[in-house]
Order: sequence, then structure tokens, then C-alpha cells
Amino acid sequence: MSSAMQIMVVDDEENICEALAAWFQKDGYGVETAGSGPEALERMQQKPCDVYLVDIKMPGMDGLELLARLKEKQPDVDVIMITAHGSVQTAVEAMKRGACDYLCKPFDPDQLSLLMERVMASKALRDENIVLREQLAEQREAIFDGFVAQSETMQNVFSIIEDVAPSSAPVLITGETGVGKELIAHTIHTLSEQSYGPFVAINCGALSETLLESEIFGHERGAFTGAAKARRGRLEMANNGTLFLDEVGEISNKMQVALLRALEEKKFERLGGSRAIETNFRLISATHQDLPQRIKENQFREDFFYRINVITVPVAPLRERLEDVPALADHFLERYVQETGKRIEGFTQRALGMLMSYSWPGNVRELRNVIERGVVIARGRMIGAKELTFLNTPSAECQLGTLTLREVEISHVRAALEACNWNISHAAKQLGIDRSTLNRKIKLYHMIRP
Amino acid sequence: MHTNQSKPTDKALVDLILLGHVNETAVSIVAANLQAIMGLNTDIRPVLEKPDYAYVPGRNQFDSAKIIKTLCSITGGAPLKLGLIESDLCTPILTFVYGESQLGGKAALVSLHRLSAEDPAVTYQRIAKISLHEVAHLLGIRHCWKTTCLMKHSSNLEPLDSLSIYFCSACEYEIQRHLKTLINRDT
Repeated sequence: MSSAMQIMVVDDEENICEALAAWFQKDGYGVETAGSGPEALERMQQKPCDVYLVDIKMPGMDGLELLARLKEKQPDVDVIMITAHGSVQTAVEAMKRGACDYLCKPFDPDQLSLLMERVMASKALRDENIVLREQLAEQREAIFDGFVAQSETMQNVFSIIEDVAPSSAPVLITGETGVGKELIAHTIHTLSEQSYGPFVAINCGALSETLLESEIFGHERGAFTGAAKARRGRLEMANNGTLFLDEVGEISNKMQVALLRALEEKKFERLGGSRAIETNFRLISATHQDLPQRIKENQFREDFFYRINVITVPVAPLRERLEDVPALADHFLERYVQETGKRIEGFTQRALGMLMSYSWPGNVRELRNVIERGVVIARGRMIGAKELTFLNTPSAECQLGTLTLREVEISHVRAALEACNWNISHAAKQLGIDRSTLNRKIKLYHMIRP
Repeated sequence: MHTNQSKPTDKALVDLILLGHVNETAVSIVAANLQAIMGLNTDIRPVLEKPDYAYVPGRNQFDSAKIIKTLCSITGGAPLKLGLIESDLCTPILTFVYGESQLGGKAALVSLHRLSAEDPAVTYQRIAKISLHEVAHLLGIRHCWKTTCLMKHSSNLEPLDSLSIYFCSACEYEIQRHLKTLINRDT
């Protein structure tokens, strides 16, 4: 049993101290005894205990006074009062003043065992909670150290994040694929009051409408074919935490209506269910789409847009903040060098120039993949132009001024697909985007496999 | 490993001391189990009178701490004393105890009062389990968390009945270690 736990029995009757001490010693606890309140306080100074069993009726300083003095010196201490049958009222009073429980003597061995188990379990939970809160506080302090960005644009984003995080207002993060929208959502959650609750993310673009509905709202047993058992949805899972709807622009109008109701009423029903389930979470959404434009095209509901877009955090694409590229490249280099165990010290000037003159359609994610690839194929101490030759294809060169962004993107995507023999997974990896994003671009630009 | 690994000795290590009338079969079973499971040679001492000095009138029970003090004061015989009594036992703070012992001390006590079951085999097994548990405390063994170990604390009969009559390997090892010290000290 727990040898670390220290218990002090405080009673003016020596035989009671002895009997309880013998009982606890057999359970492996460290036991101290004291015959009076002042003696207990003196011993506490020398060796504080985790749990105190205190007799209410003692000459001089009584149990209630000792309880107050113990709590004053050690607020998180557990004090169990021992009382005779006649003074239960006093014991109840003691509990109001902070005692964790009381025992009427004589008590059943079962009662004492159960009480000690409960006290120990509660103490273990409290200790764990303290450790977790300390860890979280450290993470909160370190969170901006983890961000790699020097540009003024990104410094403004950090400033917005710091301002909006403490409120519970819905946030919409906008920006192209690969700029780090989920990382920003996670940061807002970590800095918010909901940080002790869960962070529940769902990519709305990755699931069909039916699946998405079931994922978000959950379902009851038998709600549809294959629903063999009831399942909690993300709305339920996010209770007291944050719900992150990634690619929110992909949600159908029908789903937007259902979600809007759940967001406004803070309750919903599972699919196939009739019981209203209450939930309370902070909503963060993200999209790469121009939602006001989609509203004009009747593709997105205006009421839903205003519900999710109380605060906007716009994240600029990497090509608009190329000054962040060197720091990001160094950051990813360090990560992959650690992972692979290779001894690579940095980039040659030429390689750095190539990284700085590339348009990064896949943004930070693409840069990360490029550095990973560079580390894997590099043979020397530096990553040079040789390791980045694939950035030099005609489509990869920055041709701003001669081509529109759309044209550059079409050309680059096509080149990547051709280079990978139309293997969608490989091409998506090379571009630094998801398969679903690549499929969407193929469809959008009407690209057909030759 | 359920048998004694320590140096064999013919000398009794436990004296069974009967306090008033005690069921003879129960006494034999306790002695046999102490020998078989813990490897402790046991002597059954002449019956002592019922300990009226420990009677608690308001509770109609006997104070186990007072009886243990008397058992400790007995000189001669085996180094460990296990008292058996048919009456109900209590302590100043507990409404009842099945048994009581001094951790790493000299004397322990077991009451048969609350251990009876419809099936006599169950009754005798309970008596043997409590006796082995209390004697292990005398050897300095504390309670064990393992659900299969006899040193797991049982505050009522249900968990006691579900316990094995054997010790887990860790407690068994500790018992043998303490037993060796006791034998060396005594010889």
C-alpha cells in the first residue's frame, strides 16, 4: 500500500491513538500520533502529514479549533473528525468548516476502509489535477515560443489570438490550405478558459454529408443501417471544451441549418433520438474559401456565417510573408535532423535563395514536406540546390507578374500530377496538400488524366 | 511457492493459546494450516480462563488490545503467541474485529464469533485464513493490494471468502525472510 502517505491521529485517549495507529500501519501508511491539539501543531511543523484524524472532544484546544489551525497552515490538508454518537451535530459543523468527513466511534472496519479509500482517491485526483494544471500553464507560457514567424503579418495574428482567446466568442480562421489554421485553433483553445476541457476537431471536407451528420450529432442505436450501438457525436464530446470545424465551407446548407440550431440553443438530438442533449463549447471554424462570395452565390447561409464569424483571424499565405521562410526552414530542418539522426548543419545560400523565390502554393505544409525530402536525400552537411532541384521546374518558378495566381496554380498542380504519373497521394504529398484538396483542385480546374 | 523454505526446526514457533472453550476441530485446523502453509511448528497450550478482565459491559464484547497485552506477558514457550477465543472482539474505535495482532510483535488474537457459516468447511476455512493473516502480521507483513493474496485486507466476510488461503509470491518471500530471522534469533 502507499508508503508515501502520512497520517496523524490526534486524540487525548492513548488507547484510541494506539488502535488507529496499529490499523493504519498494517495498511502501509506512515502514522504519527498526538495527544492534544498543540502537540499536533508542533509535530505538523516538523513533519506535515497528508491526512489528520482529529477527535472533536479534547481538553484545551478542541477538534474544531485544531481543524481551523490545520487548515490555516496547510489549506489542502484532509481532516477527518472523530466524534461520539452524541456530537454528530458538531461533526457536521466541522464539515462545513472544511473537514472532509467524520466518523462516529466506535465505527465498522468497513466504514474506516471505505473512508480511507475515498480520501486517498480524492487526494490522488487533486494531486494529478495540480500536476496537469502546472503542465498546462507551462504549455501556455511556451506556446508562442513554438510559433515560428517573424513577419509583421503573423505578429498581428498572434496579437489577435491573445486578444480573442480569453473570450468565448466564435472564431473563424481564414487562409489557404497549409497555412496552419488548425495549429492556430489549437493555440486559441490552449489559451482560453476552455483549455481544461477537450479540443475536438472535425474536417468537414473529408466526410460525406451523411457521415458528417452522424459524426457531429452522434446517433442512437438503430438510427440507420449499421448503427449497431449508440455513439456520441463531436458536439457532445466537445462539452466544456472547444469544437473545431475545419473546412467549414464544405458543410451543406441542410447541415448548416441543423448546426445553427444546435449552436443557438446549445442543445441537440442525436440522429434517431428524441432526447435533447445539452452541450456547451467554444466554436472555432476554419476555411480556405471566400465565404462572403459563397453567400452571394447562395452556396453558404448568411445566418450561419454570422454565427460562426464573430471574430475573424486571417492568416496570410506564405508567399506574402516570405521573410518567415528561413526561420521556418531552419525549424523543420532541426525537427527532421533529429528524427533521422543525420548530421546536416543548414542550407547553402543558393538553396536559401531558391526557397525564398518559390511561390509556395501549399504554404507551410509544402515547405515542411520540401525540407523533409531534402533531409532524406541529402548526402552532405548542407542542403544545397541539388536537394531542391524539383523547385526549379517551370511551374515551380515564381512567375508573378506574367501569370495570374490561378494560372500558376493550375500549371503547378498539373506538373506535380505529371511528375507523379497521376498518383494522387504522391502528388498531394509533393504539393504539401491533402488528397481531398488535390481532388478538389482537379475538379475545379477540370483536369483530366491523359 | 506455498511451503516453508526456511531452515527446518523442531522447536515450536507459535503457541496456540485457547481463551475459554474453543472448538477443538477449529484449533486443530489452525495448527495444521500454520504448519502446512507457513511452515510454523505449533504447540497447543493448556486452556486459559475466559478473559473477564477484558470484558466491555456496554458492548458485550471483549477488548482485543487488553487480551493481547496479557498474551504478550506470558513468558516461556514459543516466540509467537496466537490466542483463540469464541467470544466477540472489539477495539476502542472499531465495532468489531475478526482478529488483531501486533505488527512485528509477539501476540495475536482471533475470534471465532463472527466467522461461522452454514457449511462448517467454510467456517473452518475462514478461521484458518484469519489466523494465517494475523500471524503474518506478527512476522511484520503489512496488507497487500493483490486480490489473490491472503494479506489483502478484508473488512467483511464476502471479500474474506473470495480470498485465496495462500500468500502472493512477494508476501511469501517476505514471510520466509522474517521467519529465518526469527529462527536464527531463537536458536
